[in-house]
Amino acid sequence: MEIDRFIIPTVTIFIGLILCFFMLFPLSAILKMSFFKGGEFALANFTLVNFQKYFTTAYTLRALWHSLYVSVVTTIIVTIIIFFYAYAMTRTTIRGKTFFRNVIMLPLVAPSIVQALALIYLFGRNGLITAHLLKTDWNIYGATGIIVSEVLYCLPHAFVILYTTLSAVDIRLDEAAESLGASPFKVFTRITLPSAKYGIFSAAALTFNLTITDFGNPVVIGANYNVLATEIYAQVTNLYRFDLGATISIILLVPSLMAFMLNYYISRKTFSMISGAARPVIPPSRPLKKISYSIYCSLVTFAIFLVFATVIIGSFVKIWPYDWSLTLAHYSFPSIAGYSAIWTSVWVSLIVGIAGAFITLVAGYVMETRRPFFKQTIYLLSVMPAAIPGLVMGLGYILAFNKPYYFFYGTPWIIVINIVICNFTLGILASISNLRNIDPSIEEASISLGGDTFRTFFRIIFPLSRVAFFQNFVYFFMRSMTTISAVIFLVSATVHLAAIEIIMLDNDGWTASANAMCTCIIVIVLIMLGILQIVAKKTGQRPEGMTSAV
Amino acid sequence: METTSKQLVLKNINKQFGDLVAVKDVDLVIAPAEFVCFLGPSGCGKTTLLRIITGFEQQTSGDVIYDDKIINDVIPQKRDFGIVFQSYALFPNMTVHQNVAFGLKMRNMPPKLIDERVGEILKLVGLTDWERHYPSQLSGGQQQRVALGRAIAIKPKVLLLDEPLSALDAKIRIRLRTVIKRLQEELGVTMIYVTHDQEEALALADRVAIMRDGEIRQIGSPWEIYKQPKTSFIAEFVGTSNFITGKKKNGKVQFGRLELAVTNLDDSGNETVYLAIRPENIELVDETRSSENYLASNVVEVAAEVINFLGAIVRITFILEEEEMLVDISEKAFEKLSLKRKDKFKLYFPPDEFHQYTELFRKLI
Repeated sequence: MEIDRFIIPTVTIFIGLILCFFMLFPLSAILKMSFFKGGEFALANFTLVNFQKYFTTAYTLRALWHSLYVSVVTTIIVTIIIFFYAYAMTRTTIRGKTFFRNVIMLPLVAPSIVQALALIYLFGRNGLITAHLLKTDWNIYGATGIIVSEVLYCLPHAFVILYTTLSAVDIRLDEAAESLGASPFKVFTRITLPSAKYGIFSAAALTFNLTITDFGNPVVIGANYNVLATEIYAQVTNLYRFDLGATISIILLVPSLMAFMLNYYISRKTFSMISGAARPVIPPSRPLKKISYSIYCSLVTFAIFLVFATVIIGSFVKIWPYDWSLTLAHYSFPSIAGYSAIWTSVWVSLIVGIAGAFITLVAGYVMETRRPFFKQTIYLLSVMPAAIPGLVMGLGYILAFNKPYYFFYGTPWIIVINIVICNFTLGILASISNLRNIDPSIEEASISLGGDTFRTFFRIIFPLSRVAFFQNFVYFFMRSMTTISAVIFLVSATVHLAAIEIIMLDNDGWTASANAMCTCIIVIVLIMLGILQIVAKKTGQRPEGMTSAV
Repeated sequence: METTSKQLVLKNINKQFGDLVAVKDVDLVIAPAEFVCFLGPSGCGKTTLLRIITGFEQQTSGDVIYDDKIINDVIPQKRDFGIVFQSYALFPNMTVHQNVAFGLKMRNMPPKLIDERVGEILKLVGLTDWERHYPSQLSGGQQQRVALGRAIAIKPKVLLLDEPLSALDAKIRIRLRTVIKRLQEELGVTMIYVTHDQEEALALADRVAIMRDGEIRQIGSPWEIYKQPKTSFIAEFVGTSNFITGKKKNGKVQFGRLELAVTNLDDSGNETVYLAIRPENIELVDETRSSENYLASNVVEVAAEVINFLGAIVRITFILEEEEMLVDISEKAFEKLSLKRKDKFKLYFPPDEFHQYTELFRKLI
């Protein structure tokens, strides 16, 4: 029995140590590399020469402005598009809402490179629309390409936030205003918009963060338009300048951290606004409103469909856009890795899924229901990963663990660890919100009946969390299958991953095969989501779908 | 089933959450097999006190003593105290049988004995036919019976109930009250019952402890609490009372134009005196009886403002010297009176039915 007293502190300390060792330690390696000569930590070695070099070199400095420009423009566009999209889902009576809600989530099932691949096929130098239909020389490479692809990539993330916000705001407020004589325009500007303002800011901050840290899309469609993420990669991979890579990482960390903190601060306010009040039926929208929102939503979903259709069709036709005959040739991958990369990705993702779902459930349980005295510290450590761009974390891993005595370095295990840590935040937030739904008395009941911590967890908490556990599993699986930036520095000559192969194939000119690889990932992730639906339905709980996995 | 409970002592218990004093100087000796209710408004510290006894909350100072042993450091799962929660807290992933068997399993009892014991318990709480059902398939009242059964299955040394009936319908509440009372008498187990429902507390308990602001303000049998409320707060909280703020004058109490005679009026101290009298203790003046039965000073004529028919009794609201007051009369007497709104009638305030207080509890309505 006395062992029971030690279980919770032990587990808490263990989780804390894992987060310190696999998150803070790599981060410190980056700080060391950027601020100290030769990466050697000593007072005498402190230097700002790397930063000086960065800010005085026009080419690298441009990456910062490029990143900020692209991110700001993307943020504005995404926020506006998604606000009206979410508005249509929550405040109008258009038909096909389930369809629209599911399609908008589609970008989550593919690596953030699918947009760029599709846009090149449609608007590139040899694009179907630009070169062949319009016969124009204009193409989408550069800033425009990055912005459009990032917009299409960020839609689901922003949608989840604004949809939640708008659903939570009581629609009766609108009705009350209307009954007091406010015009529809006044209702919109004075009631609807202000009540959603935290959601709008939160969605904007998240979009900004996702865009500025994204690597896949800019590396494919950016051409000579360098951004911070691609610059880090170029410095490290092409020039072997780890010091400059680390320095740019710090520069990237600053805006993304700010956006994250803003989002964190705001989302806390948002949740305090959400009431448990019943949502009354939405009054029927006027025909004109209904038609225009239907067309609007159809256009947005069409753009998303177009991306996926282009990549999937592109993987099956001989030579896009000249020879449309069907072929499976692109699926016999030319690179050495080929299918082995897919299998590695699948089993790595399965392990990431199980490990991630389990550790976040345990950590959530310890923090939420047992409240150890260092809960705040653990909580802070748990939300930090979301603020750290995957690419930065990946670089930190090289700098920290590229030593012979770290046996896991160069094996798939470091990839597993990295992906779990990078996605820890959302995993644990999902776990905590699930655990909050379990009546605390249930646990106390178990304890008062003599159940120890171990048995209470496995007989009560775990069975009651199994749907949430599986949702978290799918979330980690999906992230693991599609992430590029977190693992691009960690693949090696012997360990290949499917998402990274897309970049390699595209880089070597095998664009159609890159599309094929992308299609494989999409299919695998969709299969997993299908299983989630079935499992969730079987256990009798309404599947939250991807909404909770974001 | 015989009494296994021993004496439970709370010794100078204090509990603070930051600056907030949740429980203050609680001293209480609970005899074996006694039924004690903690009664008080929400936020009075009664649930915190219960949680300290269970071990889920650690007191800031003071001792919890069971069977002459200090158990402050005994963790909840080793205290062998059964708990029944307001929300039932049944394990939704387990059947009724598995729920009741849970505590026995945790004690590694052989499966055969577990089945026997669960059978006994389910018979006791009247759920024999529901063994294979899941909690979600049961009504609220049935669920709370399962929770009761689950808690008594482990033969707890003390059974603690935290507002167990407050989530239920009025009818079921009253029926389950009987179930609980009978169980307690049959099992001979010490029960500590937390509630904000004064009727429930009076109906169930051997002793009621009235709590307010973390303190036990009065403890006694339901009879004592009802008949001799120590403070005006208790007079208002338990049952209903009319309050009169008056001035002492010539051994009487001046209230507006009235000068009321009060038995054993405390002549010392403040000039102002607060009197309480229960609606059922105010009498209708029977005109057929001789006026010698009534002290003239305590007879008043009032008009009926509101008439509420409550079944066996009728509650009439009237205004006396600008204060709104209530009187309860039997349905029979009401019928004889054939009273309508605004009709005048005579009331008598018996001098010995007044309680005197030095402060007045303000109703928050």
